[in-house]
Amino acid sequence: MLINSNKTMTLNTYKKVKIAVAFVLALIFSQALVYNNYLIPIATMIIASLILMYLRRRVKGIIADERDYSTAGKASLLAVQIYSWTAAISMFILYAYRDFNPAYEPVALTLAYSTCILLILYSLIFRYYNTFKLTEKRTLYVIAVLIMLLVLAVVSLRLFSGEDNWICVDGSWQKHGQPSFPAPTIECK
Amino acid sequence: MRNNIRALRIKLNMTQEELAQKAGVRRETIVFLEQGKYNPSLNLAHDVAIALNSTIDKIFIF
Repeated sequence: MLINSNKTMTLNTYKKVKIAVAFVLALIFSQALVYNNYLIPIATMIIASLILMYLRRRVKGIIADERDYSTAGKASLLAVQIYSWTAAISMFILYAYRDFNPAYEPVALTLAYSTCILLILYSLIFRYYNTFKLTEKRTLYVIAVLIMLLVLAVVSLRLFSGEDNWICVDGSWQKHGQPSFPAPTIECK
Repeated sequence: MRNNIRALRIKLNMTQEELAQKAGVRRETIVFLEQGKYNPSLNLAHDVAIALNSTIDKIFIF
């Protein structure tokens, strides 16, 4: 039994469950990519997050303490800085060479937009922690859920809108709207 | 920051795990504290002091 009669579980069991969940998620994601289905991985990710949140509350030991949060904060800041600089430089290089290969442009734009979203999120979260009390967990949960919904909405619009994209018609790629990138190189079935 | 955590813990015949549980942190944090590689928050310093039946100024050497 993962959870005993007292509804608690050990830290080791929780870690094992987390690894198992990550394994299952990776499996589902890879299969979803093969079958071009994006709904299943998104749904699975949400369900997995909820399961892990539930199990985390049942863990008897301490999962993380102030030293972990401090280290995580420093690591996150460094990761954001490295990603932002790398993405910005790559974006400019790819955009400059877009005439050589039109496929560079969407990659450059994706990098630019993702960096902007990341920096906006970072600023908002930094402002939150700098303004409000850290103990107001309820507010934090609400903001986290709102951010997740916003990100999901943007991703969903991009994935499912079908506007300005290439669609497969009778074995060939046809323009739908005005896609700013070339037709996919994979076979159209 | 230097401290007397290890000495006081041994004096009380307490393991790092037990001290960690009393202070509400992971055992690794106690290891880092004893080695002087981590400066705790005021809250943690207070919790450690309580767990060791001592006071902050007697444990941590400023």
